[in-house]
Amino acid sequence: MSENLHSDSLVERYHHLTMRKLLVLVVSVIGVIIVVGLFSVSAYDNISLMEAYRIIWDHIMGVEYEPRTTEWWADRFIWNTVMPRIVAAIVAGASLAAAGALMQALMNNPLADPYSTGISSGACFGAIVALVLGLTITSTSGQSGMIVNAFVGAMIPVGVVILISKRMPLSPAALILVGTALSYFFSSMVTYLLVITDADTLQNAYIWQVGTLDTIVWSSIPMMVVVTAVGSAFVMLLTRQLNVLSLGDANAKTLGLDVEKFRVVCLIVMAIMTASIVCFTGTIGFLGLVAPHLVRILVGSDNKFVVPISMAVGSFILVLADYIAMTISDVPVGVVMSIIGSPIFFLLILWQKKGYGTVY
Amino acid sequence: MALLVDFIERYHSIAKRRSFFAIVFFIVAISFVVISLGFGTYKISMGEAFDALINHLTGNVVNAKDDLYVWDVRLPRAIGAAFVGAGLAIGGVVMQNLMQNPLAEPYTMGVSSGAFLGAVLSMISGFSIIPALSGDYAVVCNAFVFSLIPVALITVVSRFKKLSPTAIILLGIAVMYVFSSITQYMMVTAESESMASAYHWRVGSLSKVTWDNLPFLVVFVTATSAVLCACYKKLDIMYSGDRCAQTLGINTTFFRMFCLIIVSLMTAAVVSFTGTIGFIGLVGPHIARMFVGSKNKLLLPGAAAFGAAFLIIADTVAKVSGINGLPVGVISSMVGGPLFLYILIKKNKKVWN
Repeated sequence: MSENLHSDSLVERYHHLTMRKLLVLVVSVIGVIIVVGLFSVSAYDNISLMEAYRIIWDHIMGVEYEPRTTEWWADRFIWNTVMPRIVAAIVAGASLAAAGALMQALMNNPLADPYSTGISSGACFGAIVALVLGLTITSTSGQSGMIVNAFVGAMIPVGVVILISKRMPLSPAALILVGTALSYFFSSMVTYLLVITDADTLQNAYIWQVGTLDTIVWSSIPMMVVVTAVGSAFVMLLTRQLNVLSLGDANAKTLGLDVEKFRVVCLIVMAIMTASIVCFTGTIGFLGLVAPHLVRILVGSDNKFVVPISMAVGSFILVLADYIAMTISDVPVGVVMSIIGSPIFFLLILWQKKGYGTVY
Repeated sequence: MALLVDFIERYHSIAKRRSFFAIVFFIVAISFVVISLGFGTYKISMGEAFDALINHLTGNVVNAKDDLYVWDVRLPRAIGAAFVGAGLAIGGVVMQNLMQNPLAEPYTMGVSSGAFLGAVLSMISGFSIIPALSGDYAVVCNAFVFSLIPVALITVVSRFKKLSPTAIILLGIAVMYVFSSITQYMMVTAESESMASAYHWRVGSLSKVTWDNLPFLVVFVTATSAVLCACYKKLDIMYSGDRCAQTLGINTTFFRMFCLIIVSLMTAAVVSFTGTIGFIGLVGPHIARMFVGSKNKLLLPGAAAFGAAFLIIADTVAKVSGINGLPVGVISSMVGGPLFLYILIKKNKKVWN
């Protein structure tokens, strides 16, 4: 009898947890939808929130308006000014959050994020070489050259980390330290380039470094979407192995996981995902760190749920941060992210359990 | 017995070699101060520069322009470089001992980010912590006060909670992030010109050192270094771990906080005049360690002399490369980054877990 009762309460708790997961997911999705409406209203003030949703819906359904009516104008404004950055924010948020969840699981370190292996400084170096010196890999100038440069630059540190890990097996802490050393090196070169340039270029470069969604155009969206979709599908397939890895390298090996190989493969996927976002948006910080943590606090740490829910929450946070950035003070979204993110990081450090400080 | 004699002999010969290196570093540092007088954008030969220095010291100035450049511009800058390098290197040695961590450095507790926030507040929004001051003095003053906030915070937290070295380092990183988020906001909303000058401040330069502010720097660095060097035996013991140190009669919590405050004071003084010149505090001690060993009695002066010599060379390169050339902070981190990687791979199997 009592056993029955016990199992009843267990079932109840299980259902309760499932409800919570669903709730977090639904709240994030609704949150995204609300912010999209607010964004659209801010793009064209003559419409109400409801009209904005109708216009977006009609556009998706392929309805054409009479030229030069209010709706026609509203449609054009929404679609050409705010919609690219909304879509970019949703995709980038999902991608960075998934990459962050992946890194934290891979490195067994709650303070890891997608930039831990030096991706951000490599991307900065690539972008700033294009911006300051005008040197690009594709030898095309302007935005597209910068994007390619940033992408290639982002891949360099990961490439070096992987090359070193072929020579000698590296522990997660060592991987992060090598990444730190590489990012010091790249940052010194970035600093040099920024010191010799003029004030306006410096400011542009600095804003790129902080991360902004102002410059996103429709043509950048397809690549972001495709890489994010493929990458996150890949991560979702590996959640079982990621859970095993959280037991530590030795245990994971005992359970039949080729830890070193798995880590390298995942690092490559993570790098491509992150680079494909960062090269368009600049290095938006903290999202990859904070989103998975929020989700873990809310729904527990089974990666099967952490990864997809993090993606939804990541999208919501980034869209909201971008809305705040645009409407309240017109600063790059990266600034808003770091103002939100750094206190959370502070609290994470204060609350963290012992044994996590492997980086230092 | 023969073995023991052999061993003692070897020990003495190693000790001799190490003291020899420490003395060599000192001689090199002092001679670099003089040699660096001959380099810069104003063309003057080494001999002429030396003559101008001697002439000024003996009181009969022959060439007023030579005298101006050598005595009023280059000499304070060279002496400043020597003291900044020495101070940061000593700070690095002390931090590495206190934290029992080869990757610790004087900026580990967030001194640099605090200083930068203070400087940015003054340069961009004109805020000054002492309202009477303005211009360069306000920047220096702000940077100094703000760079002491992280260590003050850590001191307060350590009253309520026993902090391990790792916890102190992580708290420093967290404070750094919070400060830099505010800095970021100020930087992106600023005019591009004042933003550029703030950025240049952060990269670090010794060009602001003059006879007027040099005494502050010298007094601060000398006094704090003297205190730290006086603790060399305790620092030796600290590196063996908290438990060992406690068994040997050191109040580790108190001693660590005491030294952290002294190091912060010194670093704050250096940073507020020069901006954040990185890597000397990290790499200087490690290179000096290769030559003079890890005993603090020799390492502290050895690292100080090495840091001084290194920074003078880096600053000489910076001076020669001109206004659009390499700033000294970039030179030190370009050398420092790869060295950091090397130290990681070769020297410290411990941090690899």
